[in-house]
Amino acid sequence: MRLLTHNYMQSTVKGTEKGYPLKIEADKLEFDQSPFDPDFVRSLLPKIDYEILLFAVGQIVEKCEEDLSAVVTLPKLPETIDISSASEDEELLKKLHLVMFDIHVVEGHLICPDTGRRFRIIMGIPNMILHEDEV
Amino acid sequence: MAKRPEHIAPPELFYDEKEARKYGNSTRMMAVQSTMSARAIELLNLPDRPCYLLDVGCGSGLSGEVLSEYGHVWVGTDISSAMLGVAVEREVEGDLCYADMGQGMFFRNGIFDGCISISALQWLCNADKKCHRPKERLEKFFQTLYNCLVPGARAIFQLYPETPQSMQLITECAMRCGFSGGLVIDYPNSTKAKKMFLCLDAGTPRKLPEGLSNGSIEEASGPRTSIAYNNSSAMFHPGKDTLRDNRRNKHKKRNVKDRDWIQAKKDKMRRRGRRVARDSKFTGRKRRPQF
Repeated sequence: MRLLTHNYMQSTVKGTEKGYPLKIEADKLEFDQSPFDPDFVRSLLPKIDYEILLFAVGQIVEKCEEDLSAVVTLPKLPETIDISSASEDEELLKKLHLVMFDIHVVEGHLICPDTGRRFRIIMGIPNMILHEDEV
Repeated sequence: MAKRPEHIAPPELFYDEKEARKYGNSTRMMAVQSTMSARAIELLNLPDRPCYLLDVGCGSGLSGEVLSEYGHVWVGTDISSAMLGVAVEREVEGDLCYADMGQGMFFRNGIFDGCISISALQWLCNADKKCHRPKERLEKFFQTLYNCLVPGARAIFQLYPETPQSMQLITECAMRCGFSGGLVIDYPNSTKAKKMFLCLDAGTPRKLPEGLSNGSIEEASGPRTSIAYNNSSAMFHPGKDTLRDNRRNKHKKRNVKDRDWIQAKKDKMRRRGRRVARDSKFTGRKRRPQF
């Protein structure tokens, strides 16, 4: 699961108010480089919630240093982002691309911030199936 | 007649490892899936740039591969872990989620530029568990889907409705959740090549695309290839009268295969896109007695 997908996901367990950002407990991370398309990242900018992205990066940064320090170092992202100036800045777009597309959470858990329900991630696939009483 | 997969087992059990392997190995199945996906993308009518799409019931990721070919980024959801396993093996490019579409989508509002779904929606018409109510599940699905689509986005569902009633249930639920649109039928005269696509627009309705058909002769008079739903009452009613007439005429069938009969048969096959011998003055003539 990419951090881009995490950015868009929310928990729908019964009794959830907002349901995002989901906390990440990563047991295994992978780095898989993909081709960088500045236009696509630019078009995503208005849609992503930058705070959630920073939050997600904060959650995995330790694990990333532990496991992936040989292949990649997480770039430092600015505290806030301005869409119009960010779309001009190719370096920043590249950093965002790396964070959103190339880091995969392969094993671990997603945790609903309101109810604490844990969604397990196996082989990069989060299990979002709810029990009968949670619908 | 072959049994419908929905009647054999619920989707998470029907698509077991054996069934999933078929989707990973059989070239015929892969070809069918890819052509349907390509057609669905064509119907989506996306702008000429990479888009962020949702694939509901992505299975082994065959439809997703077509999306990747077109340069789009996608997220797929499926209820069969075996099929998702095949998708992981095939190293598809999109992100996968293990989820039940009847429990609704789990994405924030206004995310996806479009949605495709190949042969998945008809599963929602079945109640596989005690707690399942098809109508509620359909409504939950359509409502959450509507929310996570960008305003003006389109969703294309390729489906095999079991009965006109189930089709009506699906469209009614979709309309109630704010979608507008209709049904596009490709090759309506052929039993084999006939494919149904439910085109739903979130927000402003657009012009419904035309369905594909073979041979242009009968197009004007043949069955319509796209049906727009403006009010839900004017939909599939297979007319009681025609049914009764058919039954009455069954016994009066002519058994003479004369020229007209042959001509009608040939036209029918031509409409279905089969290869047919050309018409000539010898069509339907008897052969000379052989000495």
